[in-house]
Amino acid sequence: MKYLQLFALSLGILAFASCEDDNNPKPSTPVSPVPGTPGTVTIDITNVAGTVNVDETGATSYTNSSGESFTVTKLKYYISNVKMMIGDSLAYVMPESYFLVDEANLASTKLSIPNVPAGNYTSVKFTVGVDSARNVSGAQTGALTPSDMFWTWNSGYIFFKLEGASPLAPNGIVYHVGGFRNANNTNALRDVELDFNGDALTVNGSREAEIHVFADILKVFSTPNTISIATLSFQMSPGGNALLLADNISNMFSFDHLHN
Amino acid sequence: MNRSKDILRLAFLLIAVLLTACAKEEREEGSRLFYIPEGFPAPVYGFENNPLSRPGFDLGRKLFYDPILSRDSSTSCGSCHQQFVAFAHADHRLSHGIDGLLGTRNAPGLFNMAWMPEFMWDGGVNHIEVQPLAPIANPVEMDENISHVIFKLQRQESYRQLFKNAFGSDSITTQLMLRAMAQFMGSMISANSKYDAYRTGKGTMSSSELNGLSLFRTHCSSCHAEPLLSDFSYRNNGLDVSYAADPGRAAITFLPQDSGKFKVPSLRNVALTYPYMHDGRFQNLNQVMDHYSSGILAGSALDPLLPAGGLQLSAQEKADILAFLNTLTDYQFISDRRFAE
Repeated sequence: MKYLQLFALSLGILAFASCEDDNNPKPSTPVSPVPGTPGTVTIDITNVAGTVNVDETGATSYTNSSGESFTVTKLKYYISNVKMMIGDSLAYVMPESYFLVDEANLASTKLSIPNVPAGNYTSVKFTVGVDSARNVSGAQTGALTPSDMFWTWNSGYIFFKLEGASPLAPNGIVYHVGGFRNANNTNALRDVELDFNGDALTVNGSREAEIHVFADILKVFSTPNTISIATLSFQMSPGGNALLLADNISNMFSFDHLHN
Repeated sequence: MNRSKDILRLAFLLIAVLLTACAKEEREEGSRLFYIPEGFPAPVYGFENNPLSRPGFDLGRKLFYDPILSRDSSTSCGSCHQQFVAFAHADHRLSHGIDGLLGTRNAPGLFNMAWMPEFMWDGGVNHIEVQPLAPIANPVEMDENISHVIFKLQRQESYRQLFKNAFGSDSITTQLMLRAMAQFMGSMISANSKYDAYRTGKGTMSSSELNGLSLFRTHCSSCHAEPLLSDFSYRNNGLDVSYAADPGRAAITFLPQDSGKFKVPSLRNVALTYPYMHDGRFQNLNQVMDHYSSGILAGSALDPLLPAGGLQLSAQEKADILAFLNTLTDYQFISDRRFAE
């Protein structure tokens, strides 16, 4: 028993050591979490347009990389399949992790990941969208309850919605992105990994463990694909431009800081 | 002291036995509601996560016939799916939904949906449980928001009680509403036609009907596969040469090769479900026969199993096929009180 504890402790020290040294390459072998009590990790997302917070009331104008001004009236998206990483190793997968982030509902921008084993985590992974299995399995519940984030005429979740107005879009901007079928070339699911830039998120019992993330909607128009409002103001089906938008959406997330 | 404990134990035991008996009864009722007819394959929807019960089925039926599902309480599922014509829309080429607005496709009959892998003429709906969401949201059908439907249901004491009876809780959710509807829709089995009696050795057909069956097996059943009388594939049957008006399956898959293809409908109850085709262009089965005999157009999407120009059927062959198609009517299904409003 004593030996076991010692072994666990030394593993924990190893984990600490590997996380603290920026110059060391990431360990490729699984690293066990440090001994301790599982805790809750919060991913706190701030939706921004460049350097300012998104105002989804439509009152604030932003300018995209094509120099086009626009306002925002709706911003909603699904985050799912949350994974905590230690180096290159998958340390924890949150079961049933489906979150619907809605800029109009502040509470929804804080994603709570309970029961994360004690440890020092170096990055977080998640998927923007809803995995294909849940798109074909009938009526779901919780965050996946069918809502305005579901295409009823072509069954499947809308992964991302950005709506607003622009002088270049007489009928408004409506970007609805979804689709999950490789066979139809409509797979808009995108994985995101946010590295904590050498920092470590310590989880142990009730101590605070927050990951602050920015989601920059200007990237939706620019990175890597240039999306001009003048040429694309409506996207309401899977495939085609939805895939270009999906690439950009996965690039809107960036790590800012940790609260340990 | 001991004695009162014993009595308590006995009481608990009795209650437990009674509860088990009730649960068993409900399960038996559930198994009577759904069965696999002789010769049918395993269903696509087996109620795995949605145990079938009589209260669940009854709630589903109430929802099916309740116009509360529409924005202005004008239109129910039953408005366009009428039992006496096997749940098609009698004499309507296209159906009018809310505000008298017309849709673009013909309302199909509803039966044997537990065996259908996909729904709608274009297969856009991939699961029986999410099927009702499409007409509810469609601006020319019910034009309602599902969250608002749930809000309206939650306000009604009667619905809270029905949900409690069906699912053990009076909390009304979208998932439970859709599961109740799937219990009703999935139980709509049509397998008691004259053709079914014949194919299971319990009845006979006339010589004209038998000749029609033989012709059907030669010319039709490669797509209208027995015994469900559809293979549920998407095909073009030569109605048009341009598919711009309605691209059909391609509107869902975005694949150019799917343009002009529609789901092969089951021919069960076909004598009742007039008019015919995805846009209801043919008023009667004679027109359908004429199309397949001599009207098949050679569009780019025409199914390779169909000859351009038609099958060149004689008048007698058409009459015999028609006689056979009339054996597909399931009078028991259309008069089954369990499915009635």
